[in-house]
Amino acid sequence: MSALKWVAVAAAAAAAFGLAGCGEHEQVVVYKQGKYQGKPDTLPWDNAPLAWGTAKWEKGNEKSWEDELKSRTQNQNEYVRIQHY
Amino acid sequence: MARMKFLCDAERCIACNGCTTACKNENEVPWGVNRRRVVTVNDGVPGAEKSISVACMHCSDAPCMAVCPVDCFYHTEEGVVLHDKDLCIGCGYCFYACPFGAPQFPQAGAFGLRGKMDKCTFCAGGPEPDGSEAEFEKYGRNRLAEGKLPLCAEMCATKALLAGDGDVIANIYRERVTVRGKGSEVWGWATAYGQPKGGQKPAPQGAKS
Amino acid sequence: MSNLGRIVGPIAVIAALALAGAAQAQTAPGTQQQLIQQQQQRRVEQPLNNAPVWKEVRSGRPQFTSIPGRETNVLIQSSGQTWRALRDGPITQYGGWLLVIVVLAIAGFYFVRGQIKLHGAPTGRMIERFGGFDRVAHWSTAITFCVMAVTGLIILFGKLVLLPVIGYTLFAWLAALSKNLHNFVGPLFILSLLATIVAFVRDNLPQAADLKWIATAGGMFGGREVPSGRFNAGEKGWFWIGVVILGIAMSVTGLIMLFPNFDQTRATMQLANIVHGIGAALFVALGLGHIYMGTLGVQGAYQAMRTGYVDETWAKEHHQLWHDDIKSGKIQAKTEEGALAQMQRQH
Ligand code: HEM
Repeated sequence: MSALKWVAVAAAAAAAFGLAGCGEHEQVVVYKQGKYQGKPDTLPWDNAPLAWGTAKWEKGNEKSWEDELKSRTQNQNEYVRIQHY
Repeated sequence: MARMKFLCDAERCIACNGCTTACKNENEVPWGVNRRRVVTVNDGVPGAEKSISVACMHCSDAPCMAVCPVDCFYHTEEGVVLHDKDLCIGCGYCFYACPFGAPQFPQAGAFGLRGKMDKCTFCAGGPEPDGSEAEFEKYGRNRLAEGKLPLCAEMCATKALLAGDGDVIANIYRERVTVRGKGSEVWGWATAYGQPKGGQKPAPQGAKS
Repeated sequence: MSNLGRIVGPIAVIAALALAGAAQAQTAPGTQQQLIQQQQQRRVEQPLNNAPVWKEVRSGRPQFTSIPGRETNVLIQSSGQTWRALRDGPITQYGGWLLVIVVLAIAGFYFVRGQIKLHGAPTGRMIERFGGFDRVAHWSTAITFCVMAVTGLIILFGKLVLLPVIGYTLFAWLAALSKNLHNFVGPLFILSLLATIVAFVRDNLPQAADLKWIATAGGMFGGREVPSGRFNAGEKGWFWIGVVILGIAMSVTGLIMLFPNFDQTRATMQLANIVHGIGAALFVALGLGHIYMGTLGVQGAYQAMRTGYVDETWAKEHHQLWHDDIKSGKIQAKTEEGALAQMQRQH
């Protein structure tokens, strides 16, 4: 009867595993730093600005990096660029 | 918090494909893969021709992410959709799902052998140390980590293609529309970013799929 | 999605998908020519209003691009969302539940009914039930089927079931292995499947006796088994619905996805995937039933396919008409007696 027991255990395990798949899972994984279990990605503002670059922000300060990018985005705006000349 | 988006102004795009070329060069994109492309609607018809530059739009509710069997996609804090090539199995499902045809594969795919998916990263690299050789080889340049914006938009000659924080580029565009007086369609935003939710500024009025 | 959306959505979406593939070029709001004329007119009357162009874009019709590649000239495709809603919605949910319920039902049936044993004593006279070709065809199909089922289910459900348990790195490795096994064993499965159909089609043709078998569910719930030919109606159901219809459907849709290098459109592959997914759930569900009946469910069934021989008592109890035909000489079948038969039986 031990073979049958094995089958019963395997069937129960399969059922349990299958059951886990039947819930209403949120399939969209929202990335949260440290929560996504895949390989971690570093945050852009955790880098030091390139020594020779024009971009300047304070390493590790998200706000300063965003401000830098926002002002850089204005390079795409002629109404701002025209005023420089 | 910044929410990175692309915006293409159909009144300005002249289909020069400069964005496509710049992207290929900056990211040293593999053969056969173009992360960005320009599509011309009603090509050659006077008075009805419009061009749009399209790449991954970094959707809020990204279909690629939802269908990926190995869950290799993630949103960065800036709303950029990136993926881990070490996990990718090359099944092609993201290509089935994507409205914009963004995911590309380096191989033709007999027996489903497509290689690892490649797509626009908003010049934000991928899950490797920022600026590392590994990151560059797999995903291309990480310009965000250098305090820069995607090259396609930054070098766009007519500034048809805008890239940056969604609110900022929406404002730039709104200003243009005000000057022009009309024509405020923002192509692709409704599909990519959906209906504006609380806290998020709505897309410029008259947004079209 | 709201709860209502979960129910109504898929239905709307199935209809939409059916349309998307066939009538992609025609269902657009106006032909390209009409939209061009509207746009040209509008440009004069309301400069900067490009609504007809956006309509043209939404039609999903190919435009112009200088970038080579599949459908690079389509700016936006909407059927991807439809496909996603179906695959991640009903196919994953109902498919998953179906498999769980089937496993539980089989387990329940086993504990209530137990194994169907031989009533009479074995005679020691063995009748050949499956020849060499039959068995080779059956087992190559069986083995490749199991490989396809396990690897396919990993691709569909692994993310929900295995990934949280074994983590990203290991699961990605397993998924890549599954995908490659699925893709390369697939063609072998198709060949085995065809061989199986050839081997068993003749004795699976419907007979008058099948009606009675169906009416009483084979006598499963009480008393005697209904007499049947070489295969009973239940087995014939599995043959026609499972092996033939689902097997061929899985093969065709699988091949469409397997060779994306023939430039079939995304809509075609989405449709193939949907059919493949629905078929997979049904095929595996039926397959589980078949595997149960062929191993645990009926004493001697597994030995029959393994050695090719059954005891005369087994034949008489489970396939009486077949047994009678052999006895009367209407069907020629090899028989074994004595020492060899003893050996076969003990296998
Ligand atoms: C026993 C029969 C089969 C079963 C149970 C089965 C099951 C599955 C399942 C569950 C999926 C995942 C669907 C999804 O994630 O949406 C899948 C995908 C797929 N199947 Fe099958 N399948 C079978 C036969 C075949 C055959 C005969 C072929 C081709 C010759 C094939 C080719 C594919 C392909 C190409 C995919 C897409 C994923 C990939 O590239 O690996 N399948 N199958």
